[in-house]
Amino acid sequence: MRAEAISLEFTGSDETAYALAASPGFAKDGLCFAATSLGLYRSTDGGETWELLRVTEEPLQQMAVTAVALSPASAQDRTLFAAVKGGILRSSDGGDTWFAAKFPAPPPLFTALAISPDFARDGLMLAGTMEDGIFSSTDRGRNWQPWNFGLFDLAVLCLAASPHLGEDETIFAGTDTGLYRSTNGGRAWRECGFPSQFAPVLSLAYAAGKDEMLLLAGTEDNGLFISGDDGASWERTAPDALPGSVNQLQVLCQPDGGGEIYALSDDGVLRSRDAGQNWDTLVEAAVPPTAILIPDCGGKAMFLALTGKGIVKYEV
Amino acid sequence: MSEKAPFHSRKTYRPGLVFRPQAQENIQRGLNTLVSAIRPTLGPTARTVAVTSLIENKDTPEVLDDGGIIARRVIELHRRDADVGAMLARALICRQNERMGDGAATAAVLLAAIYNGGLHYLASGGDAMRLRHHLERALEKSLAALDQQTYTVAGKHNLAQVAQSICHDAELAKLLGEIFDIIGAYGRLDIRKDHSRILRREYVEGMAWDSGLFSRDMIVNRAQLQTVYEEPTFVLADFKVNDPRHIMPMLEIAVDQKIEKLILVAGDLSAEAMAGLMMANGKLKHFQVMAVRGPGGNADERAAAFQDIAIATGAKTLVGAAGDSLKDVTYGHFGRARRGWASTHNFGIIGGKGDPRKLRQHIGRLQSWLEASDDPSVREALQKRIGRLMGGSATLWIGGVSEIEIDQVKTLAEKTASAMRAAVSDGVLPGGGMAYMNCRSVLESQSQSGADPDERAAHRILFDALAEPARAIYENAGYEPGEVIAKLLHADNGSGFDVLSGAITDGAALVDSAAVMKAALRNAVLTAGMMLTIDVIAHHQSPEIARQPD
Repeated sequence: MRAEAISLEFTGSDETAYALAASPGFAKDGLCFAATSLGLYRSTDGGETWELLRVTEEPLQQMAVTAVALSPASAQDRTLFAAVKGGILRSSDGGDTWFAAKFPAPPPLFTALAISPDFARDGLMLAGTMEDGIFSSTDRGRNWQPWNFGLFDLAVLCLAASPHLGEDETIFAGTDTGLYRSTNGGRAWRECGFPSQFAPVLSLAYAAGKDEMLLLAGTEDNGLFISGDDGASWERTAPDALPGSVNQLQVLCQPDGGGEIYALSDDGVLRSRDAGQNWDTLVEAAVPPTAILIPDCGGKAMFLALTGKGIVKYEV
Repeated sequence: MSEKAPFHSRKTYRPGLVFRPQAQENIQRGLNTLVSAIRPTLGPTARTVAVTSLIENKDTPEVLDDGGIIARRVIELHRRDADVGAMLARALICRQNERMGDGAATAAVLLAAIYNGGLHYLASGGDAMRLRHHLERALEKSLAALDQQTYTVAGKHNLAQVAQSICHDAELAKLLGEIFDIIGAYGRLDIRKDHSRILRREYVEGMAWDSGLFSRDMIVNRAQLQTVYEEPTFVLADFKVNDPRHIMPMLEIAVDQKIEKLILVAGDLSAEAMAGLMMANGKLKHFQVMAVRGPGGNADERAAAFQDIAIATGAKTLVGAAGDSLKDVTYGHFGRARRGWASTHNFGIIGGKGDPRKLRQHIGRLQSWLEASDDPSVREALQKRIGRLMGGSATLWIGGVSEIEIDQVKTLAEKTASAMRAAVSDGVLPGGGMAYMNCRSVLESQSQSGADPDERAAHRILFDALAEPARAIYENAGYEPGEVIAKLLHADNGSGFDVLSGAITDGAALVDSAAVMKAALRNAVLTAGMMLTIDVIAHHQSPEIARQPD
């Protein structure tokens, strides 16, 4: 793996990227976004150059963007969402113009956005917040309502929608004190079998196992856990490679049908090619990374956000 | 079997003793009379029973299709020996209906079949006590067989199917399926009358109590008649705050800690203390306080409500019985939430900032108490507390074209909701009487080859009785039970008979609540076993009119 020049250089020593997202058609359109403490950046050339997008809608002036997510059909509908304090912005033209959906006071601080894989049909998306639990929209992000029934912990840190959400309606929410599962598209939540003493759960991802879908849960201090039975039982995996925090997980499906799982820890980036059993260290970082992005382009590129420095692009 | 005049005005009786076989024959007559009135209501094609009113000058009889309500309306039979049998059956049916919300007619049919079979055996020289013992052993085998058929049900469509099999109302079933998919076995559901003509549901976020502001002067939003605070802090005092000077330490802490919104939940508040709070609202800049009456109609309810609010918000309650006073308050007593609201009748909390782990443990404790309790009022109170703490509630609004229709649908919705809770909590099994039919195989061998004649008889009696609910359902729908059962014997394993379509179907298409079916069978066997041991009836003079069963 070779590090290229800094793709996006931060201007302040405390500037940080909270999330990175790329278009599903990144290999063709080179479109990606960086949600940072200064605002939302967009690149249309595969991360070579970046522009800071302006949000003109009152009262949501230029401010920290804590999460960004693109529609699974963004190549066609050019829809993306950005979370700022107190609201979620929606753009239907790739980020040129924005519309704000407002939320009840006090303003929620958003931590995660999850979009239904079948978004074009069901228009379903969920937003996790730091103190207000989960908000849901069923009209493509125009209107939002709190869906917290059974969610005892309202500090939601991450969300993961099942790849088969249209059929199983399953969504997981990682919180400060445990992991919750909804089997009705987010309308109600029940605590699942995750051992709560290992919470907080910072990251979640679905990955293809040998015969079943695996769910991975990264914790703040206790490494990575895997469930092969839809969250009913959990097993800690690779404690040597991932002894502490697992801040972000990303799964990349290979054209040959295999899958790669990328894990972002405080020390760098690790990769597993055997459903999370063994891990190789890809990048060791002196500065704690805050976000990772592996765009769907055959695993050829990787972006790593480093606090106070910028976003570094790697060639895999 | 039938009584010509089942209801009559109260008479004075002479005392007396009635011995077997007359006592047993008359008990059987009374039991069968009552069950005959309820049997037509079993199944999706339930027929109705018209019950004349007990109220004078009210000529219109009630038309009922609910076995539990019909049994409740029958308060006395004409013949006092028969009345003993009818009232014993009535107690069972009412208990089944109150506890489970469904299965009353099933329990009645099972009871009659077991008692009739048992009495027939006793007439040929069987031993009642031994028969009862073996019936209870056969019951355990049957319950184990029901357990094996039980499976959990989830998802709004499957739950709607369960609701449909209970209420036979597609629109109501669809809404209840969605509601129970969200609230689960323990969530809070209010069923209320509506002025519209349709059924609709509403979900409310947060926890709410039936208790409001001490004074209308504290209402800020005059249009909505409520006050909403963002990021409020809470102080809980379960006693009456009399002395206005006692509120000063609380206000000083609030000012020191730069608290802008404070909600005082107190057992009671004197006019002087209220005036002190109102003065603080006017004088202190960037500070507002409202005072809410502590919920609960009695000391136990109030203590429970304060405990729940404390855990939800992370507050520490000042307890009057422990000698606490509001002047002793410290910052450690304060709790917090994202939002708090109050009107003159209610108040609520959204996003309480208590420890989620403690909240989870607390709910777990309440759930275990609920499962251990048999007292309906205690169960209802615990159910409400758990539902409230789950963080939201559902309301089903019942509309209709007339008050009578609304009342009927509301009763049906309440009954279905009760059975749905049991179905969500304990699972479902094949419906239409098939689950009982499937249990017969575990009794068959013992009914033929058991060493003890009483044991053989008990197994045979229960074997026959377990077919009766299905037979009644087929009969009520106009089918010949023998023909249907013969068809089922040649059908695939797990098949059932859908009386609405008249076709053999996959068993999964017809479901019943497992808890309801098990309770109906258990209650019927235990009651029948007890009734079979009765040899003598002793009558007092002027017996009391049958009371509500325990």
